[in-house]
Amino acid sequence: MAKLTIPAPELMRAGHSACPGCAPALAMRLMLKGLGPRTVVSVPACCWTVIDTPYPTTALGVAMLDNPIESTGASISGLRAAADALGIQDLNILGFAGDGGTADIGLQALSGMLERRTDAIYAMYDNEAYMNTGVQRSGSTPLGAWTTTTPVEDGARGKAEPKKDIMGIVLAHRPVYAATVNPSFPEDFVRKVEKARVLRGPRFFHIFAPCPPGWRYASDRTIEIGKRATDCGIFPLYEVEEGRYHVTRKGGALRPVSEYFQAQGRFSHLGPEDVARVQAQVTADWERLLRLENGT
Amino acid sequence: MGATLEIRFHGRGGQGAVVASELLAQAAFLDGKMPQSFPFFGVERRGAPVTAYTRIDDHPIGIRTSITTPDIVVVLESSLLRTQPVTDGLREDGLLLVNTRNPAEELMIPVPVRRAVVDANQIAVAHGLGSPTMPIVNTAVLGALVGASGVVSLKALDQAIDEFVPARRAENRAAAEDGYHAVHVVEANTPFTPPVPQAVGPTLSLPEGPVATLSSELIHTSAWRTLRPVIHLEKCTRCNFCWKFCPDDAFTFDEKGYPVVRAEYCKGCGICAVECPPRVIEMVEEA
Repeated sequence: MAKLTIPAPELMRAGHSACPGCAPALAMRLMLKGLGPRTVVSVPACCWTVIDTPYPTTALGVAMLDNPIESTGASISGLRAAADALGIQDLNILGFAGDGGTADIGLQALSGMLERRTDAIYAMYDNEAYMNTGVQRSGSTPLGAWTTTTPVEDGARGKAEPKKDIMGIVLAHRPVYAATVNPSFPEDFVRKVEKARVLRGPRFFHIFAPCPPGWRYASDRTIEIGKRATDCGIFPLYEVEEGRYHVTRKGGALRPVSEYFQAQGRFSHLGPEDVARVQAQVTADWERLLRLENGT
Repeated sequence: MGATLEIRFHGRGGQGAVVASELLAQAAFLDGKMPQSFPFFGVERRGAPVTAYTRIDDHPIGIRTSITTPDIVVVLESSLLRTQPVTDGLREDGLLLVNTRNPAEELMIPVPVRRAVVDANQIAVAHGLGSPTMPIVNTAVLGALVGASGVVSLKALDQAIDEFVPARRAENRAAAEDGYHAVHVVEANTPFTPPVPQAVGPTLSLPEGPVATLSSELIHTSAWRTLRPVIHLEKCTRCNFCWKFCPDDAFTFDEKGYPVVRAEYCKGCGICAVECPPRVIEMVEEA
């Protein structure tokens, strides 16, 4: 067999209830490959709480705690306190929450966990809307995207507000480690998780997580869309360790964002002016990221 | 107050079961009735089993719970008869309508109720509704329901489709009309085929607390797919991309390191076929 580029053991099981082509399912699979079996996962109300079940079955080969949508940050602080009280030291504690449960409803608990310096990993899988309840916009839905609550009708043109910068919010809390990861780049994904695993203190992952039904594309395009998102600069791959930035994928010149938009029905109404506006922002953000990396 | 008529729909995500229950309620309203429609709040995934409910009465309906003793059960895909308890609670004098190309006498059901069958796939495909592998059958099935039961008038159904279906109205109206004429009904106590008890593997015994202790691999998700991957191994480079990018952990390897599809779990998303560098994975229609 050719050499595997990511670990072989599977801690996420088959038989789960994710839609065909689900990136959050692949993200959990990769996350657990990086963390290994000594892990407890806390999942709030989100797609993953349904993906894992139906009761009495579970798709995780590690312990999973199901908790209310706003509570992920608080729950992982509690899990760490419990592990400490029991004298368990070799445990990875992972919060795994959607963008609605993180950037909107769970923001306070996330901020609290970061501020308490909880020794745990918080991962936000970003499918850019409340997908489990049927594609309602979240704070993390990008500008211009169609959702059921940001329709394209009667002059409305999808979401009117830009996407919330969750990495900026998290980095303002100065975590020991924060990184963006994308299941389309599994080796980079797992390498960052393995790196974060051995650090102590609050750590954060922003996971790019395409959603075939919510983003309106065929289920076989999930990996391709993820690659386009990173290669056009919409979702750059980088890590921030003790405040030092490192961009982990630089593919030369950025591809145009239009290539990313064209692949998805949720952006099909956007005209050249809309795309140009996003392109200008993405280019500026990318240059800013490179300046942060260079310390200039 | 007269009895409320209760209808339960079983389908798969993407077939239009929820819309069918809504359209039926809209048609009943147009007939001057007091209808109610809502889906079961569950896993509404593409391909996953979906349940929806419609109640129809001459008077306002107070009850808001899901339907457990339906007068009519409508099944949008016959494979659900094997995997879902669709006839649970169906009244002895009730009606079971199934979308199938097989005769009503061959439906595998536990009790010989009145049965109706319609080949809604063929009707939907003939009118260009959905794709041949994933036809959208809801309007053809509703036409058949009206033909078999008269719960609403065909005129009201036609009007409801025209007012509330977002796209391809003419084709959907024609499909309903065809379903109305094509439905075949057999009376209760005509011969029936009891289901063969199947070995279901380990029994799911519930643990005492709210703790899930069984593996999800007891659940086979193969029925979700309409396409399956076929690997042309003679050209496979054993690069492992299919395994690496699979969201369903549906690949394993043989002793020589070639990929093997775990057919009982593959949902047919097609990522492996797109990402395979030498392009040796082909998605073929399920037989």
